[in-house]
Amino acid sequence: MKFIVSIKMVPDVYAPFQIKDGELLMDGDRMVLNAYDASAVEEALVLTEKYGGDVEVVCIGAAKASETIRKALAMGAAKGYHIQTNGDEAYDSSSYAQILADFLKDKEYDVLSFGKQSQDTDSGLTGGMVAQLLNLPYATNAVGLEIEDGNLIVKRQGDSGQEMIALPTPCLVTCSNDMNEPRIPNLKGIMASKRKPVESVAVSDMNLDGAALEAVSKVTSYSPVPARAAGQKFEGEPEEIATKVAQLLDTEANVL
Amino acid sequence: MSTLLTYVAISDGKIKRSSLEVLSHCKSIADAGGFSCEAVIIDENASSFTDDVQKYGASKIYTVSGDAFSQHQNGSLLKALTKVNESVSPALIAFASTESTKDVLGALAAQLKAGVVADVSSFNFDGSKVSAQRPMMAAKIMGNVDVTGNPILVSVRSGSYDLNENPSTAEVVSLDVSVDSDDLRATLREIISATGDTIDLNEADAIVAAGRGVKDEEAKNLISELASVLNAGIGASRALTESGVYDPSLQIGQTGKVVSPQLYIAVGISGAIQHVAGMANSKVIVAINKDADAPIFEVADYGIVGDLYKVLPPFIEEIKKIKN
Amino acid sequence: MEDKFDCIVIGGGVAGLAASMMLAKANMKFLLIERGEFAGAKNVSGGVLWGHDLNKLVPNYWEEEDGGWERFVNHRRLTFMDEQSTFSLDFKSSHFNEKPYTGVVVLRSKFDNWLAGKVQEAIDASDYAMDSFIATNIKVDEVLMENGKAVGIKTGEDEFHADSVIIAEGVNNLLTRQVGLQDKYVPADHMLTGIKEIIRFDQEVLEQKFQLNGLSGMSNEFVGWATDGVEGGGFLYTNRDTISLGLVIGIKDMREKKRSPHDLLNHFKSHPTIADIIKGGEVVEYSAHVVSSGDSRAMPKELYKDGILIAGEAANLLMNAGKAIQGMDYAMRSGILAAETIIEAKEKGDFSAATLKNYRSKLDDSYVMKDINNFQDAVHLLHTDTMQNKVPNLVCDFGRQFFTIKNEPTPKSEKMLLGAIKRHASLWELLKLGFKARKSL
Ligand SMILES: Cc1cc2nc3c(=O)[nH]c(=O)nc-3n(C[C@H](O)[C@H](O)[C@H](O)COP(=O)(O)OP(=O)(O)OC[C@H]3O[C@@H](n4cnc5c(N)ncnc54)[C@H](O)[C@@H]3O)c2cc1C
Ligand SMILES: Cc1cc2nc3c(=O)[nH]c(=O)nc-3n(C[C@H](O)[C@H](O)[C@H](O)COP(=O)(O)OP(=O)(O)OC[C@H]3O[C@@H](n4cnc5c(N)ncnc54)[C@H](O)[C@@H]3O)c2cc1C
Ligand SMILES: Nc1ncnc2c1ncn2[C@@H]1O[C@H](COP(=O)(O)O)[C@@H](O)[C@H]1O
Repeated sequence: MKFIVSIKMVPDVYAPFQIKDGELLMDGDRMVLNAYDASAVEEALVLTEKYGGDVEVVCIGAAKASETIRKALAMGAAKGYHIQTNGDEAYDSSSYAQILADFLKDKEYDVLSFGKQSQDTDSGLTGGMVAQLLNLPYATNAVGLEIEDGNLIVKRQGDSGQEMIALPTPCLVTCSNDMNEPRIPNLKGIMASKRKPVESVAVSDMNLDGAALEAVSKVTSYSPVPARAAGQKFEGEPEEIATKVAQLLDTEANVL
Repeated sequence: MSTLLTYVAISDGKIKRSSLEVLSHCKSIADAGGFSCEAVIIDENASSFTDDVQKYGASKIYTVSGDAFSQHQNGSLLKALTKVNESVSPALIAFASTESTKDVLGALAAQLKAGVVADVSSFNFDGSKVSAQRPMMAAKIMGNVDVTGNPILVSVRSGSYDLNENPSTAEVVSLDVSVDSDDLRATLREIISATGDTIDLNEADAIVAAGRGVKDEEAKNLISELASVLNAGIGASRALTESGVYDPSLQIGQTGKVVSPQLYIAVGISGAIQHVAGMANSKVIVAINKDADAPIFEVADYGIVGDLYKVLPPFIEEIKKIKN
Repeated sequence: MEDKFDCIVIGGGVAGLAASMMLAKANMKFLLIERGEFAGAKNVSGGVLWGHDLNKLVPNYWEEEDGGWERFVNHRRLTFMDEQSTFSLDFKSSHFNEKPYTGVVVLRSKFDNWLAGKVQEAIDASDYAMDSFIATNIKVDEVLMENGKAVGIKTGEDEFHADSVIIAEGVNNLLTRQVGLQDKYVPADHMLTGIKEIIRFDQEVLEQKFQLNGLSGMSNEFVGWATDGVEGGGFLYTNRDTISLGLVIGIKDMREKKRSPHDLLNHFKSHPTIADIIKGGEVVEYSAHVVSSGDSRAMPKELYKDGILIAGEAANLLMNAGKAIQGMDYAMRSGILAAETIIEAKEKGDFSAATLKNYRSKLDDSYVMKDINNFQDAVHLLHTDTMQNKVPNLVCDFGRQFFTIKNEPTPKSEKMLLGAIKRHASLWELLKLGFKARKSL
């Protein structure tokens, strides 16, 4: 089967940041491959290693996003598509979905694979949007994938248990990072990635309707998360402190 | 008059409390802004829930019933919501953020060419735009977001609003939606029900959450015992759901569930930001960890530095005493 | 062999990056391997990068608006501390405003990452754009040896071959030991631990607090009460909108006195002078890292071998004689010299010890080994109880009397000094110390 995995470069949530006058300031160099997308790439690699097929990746982002594509190629993907932006557009999930749907509409694939959400925004919208725009059967929040008789079998984490869903191809799936531990590229992979093809196209050359790309949701400002009041920490004789805290939960916190 | 429509989710034959929280909030926005507060129930037995939904102030309740809605399938839900939108033309559709609504929100937004914002912790509607707050960067910061569109779709994290009874008599309107295989596109083969605990973590007043420190049966038993004396739900960190020690549906955090109980007891959990992202809004947090420098202590109201095997037995005993 | 490299550089710290930059510029085919997620991910320095070598690697680096560095140092301070007081030697000079700067404050996660980007640019511009690599998130497990000569490295199951290997792995030099250049066991009294916090202020507030102008900055070292009797010292450096505040502490002494780094840092921060400085700031990062003591007795037996060179702190190249920690500049210079040696070896087609020993003579001729050799006594002196406790107490005691004006007759300064000496040390001790210090500094 042929997989195209949609991957995003996101700011490293561990990088120090600062909010100043409502603006978010952080080191623009600290960018990583979205963890959920890494799982999607991993699963596509595992399945194609087992059943044959190809894995390609597509990423919308500024010049620096090429590093993220390289990372996926180093993991084992065969080819990358880089849809280039200037980096200063205020795109949201809906803008990315419009661009991706337009880019993917003439591509050949069996499965479009997405992350279930972006690690930085946790929106979780793009995958479903692209499925609808391309009129594809889809499933979200996959925690396991299999291939059976040309169908993609998705185990999805739902509200009341796990749902086993059979998707005819072509189809779209969004992946949870709970389905695997993405491989860390080894040196051979890193070296091979340099010679793998990456096709680039600028969003501005794609003949898209600018108005349709406009974000429907706009972050107007950032604010710090309200701090929790400092708590009490108890160290010492286990029996004593355990009893003490239990009592405080009753008398002070009033939650028993 | 603009209509605020709340989607009331049914899961396992019960109304999801979080959707009533959203309905309560929509009612207060509607009252303040002069909008109409309405609700929609989509389930095989949708009409059996209208009495309960009425209590939260919806003036009109739409029901969509049929076998197609006995189990969650994104194709049928999508079709039904599209139809409902057509009939009602709401200015805003509000959802509680659950795995089922997350499954359709993006597709629905694309289908309706709607404005959309997911997983907010608060929002308001002024007649033309939604202003919302949502946690970002693994819940380390809040983003203030403006959303426009017609309609605007909003999904809300559970526990963001209080339930607020506001009894009224609602007009019940049943809508017909037929679902065929073209709509479904995919086949739902089976549902593997979550094992073990039956307390819905989103609705639990107390949660005992286990992490990698819970290594063996003995520790698991202590967790179960503590949960049972507190009548608490059991949750887990990814370290334990991934390794199969606890059911995946019990995972709390960025990938798993977002919870906000009155009492959250984290046992043997280090407090990685992705875990904290799912529980930081709990009212009272207790952490039990043998590492005094574990980051979980930074969010805990009561931190117990110690070995869970030594701490839990007297802790459980004392709670039993207090409860009696 | 087609995919054989001229050189494999192990470690993307200052030493490894400096070596790589030289190799890239000299059109060599090489591989730089760093085990962190990115260059600098886990690296810790105070840190001021002293000297002009950065300008050699990245000419006119200061022109880049958002380059890898934070501020240039034009204000230096050495502070003696007792429980209540601080007495500082303070030097500020517009002379330091001239470029290239003589010292720039850096934050390693940013600086190393930036420098790695510059190395990548140099690779892209070289003939080996497709054949030279910077590989991160890869740990070298072993240096491959054949007949006593290094032939490559091993990571996981994979082997990669090269004519030479530069080991720039930093202070925890396991590979240096593996190739037999360092004894397996290095005594703990030659090792220090460094801890630091990054404390953030509003940039304007910070600039006012320290009277900074544009990108000028301050470096401040502390001796005495800072470490609460444990061997070591403190430092404070100004970054763009944060300060780096920390301690470098003797591991053995700390263990013997049953103290923890964290608890000593809190002690340092509780000093009234420090408390005033950090007021209003927010701690945004905490890190800890081992540092060498700069004691030459801890150096590897030799810094070269057939096919191998050791650079930076892996070779224990570091100087800490009280007035500054010099580890990064030594790392940079040794990395540059190691690369130069490899480039010459490539020209000659001989990577044996016979050629590579030139590295040692280059290093011996440079300020690095000259200073290490000349200031050994100062290094030892700094680690004595007299220097650590008595002198700071005495200086502060004298300062307190000298600067206190009471409504009573003031004794002559000399008398004050003698009084202070009596209270904290014997005259004889100080004479000895003064004599040693004159010789060693
Ligand atoms: C994109 C992304 C999403 C993620 N989503 C989630 C998520 O939804 N939920 C989640 O939980 N994680 C999530 N993670 C993983 C997260 O980063 C951590 O790896 C995980 O939370 C660690 O689980 P833990 O605290 O149980 O284990 P550890 O970090 O290993 O901590 C175990 C703790 O137990 C303590 N301990 C051990 N033995 C004892 C004892 N006998 N008594 C007392 N204490 C003891 C230890 O001191 C330690 O602090 C996510 C990660 C990523 C990258
Ligand atoms: C708290 C503190 C304050 C300091 N202050 C200053 C200061 O103000 N000024 C100053 O000049 N110096 C200072 N130093 C010293 C300075 O940090 C070091 O001397 C300097 O970092 C040495 O550079 P290096 O390149 O040799 O080693 P490092 O910077 O340690 O780099 C070694 C690199 O090798 C990598 N590595 C190790 N093993 C492997 C392996 N097997 N495979 C792949 N990669 C590997 C590591 O991840 C690391 O990136 C300070 C140190 C500390 C701890
Ligand atoms: N800029 C982008 N480039 C490629 N894929 C993207 C991009 N943005 C979002 N996606 C995909 O959509 C998923 C997340 O959607 P969302 O949470 O809505 O941002 C990611 O995991 C990717 O698979």
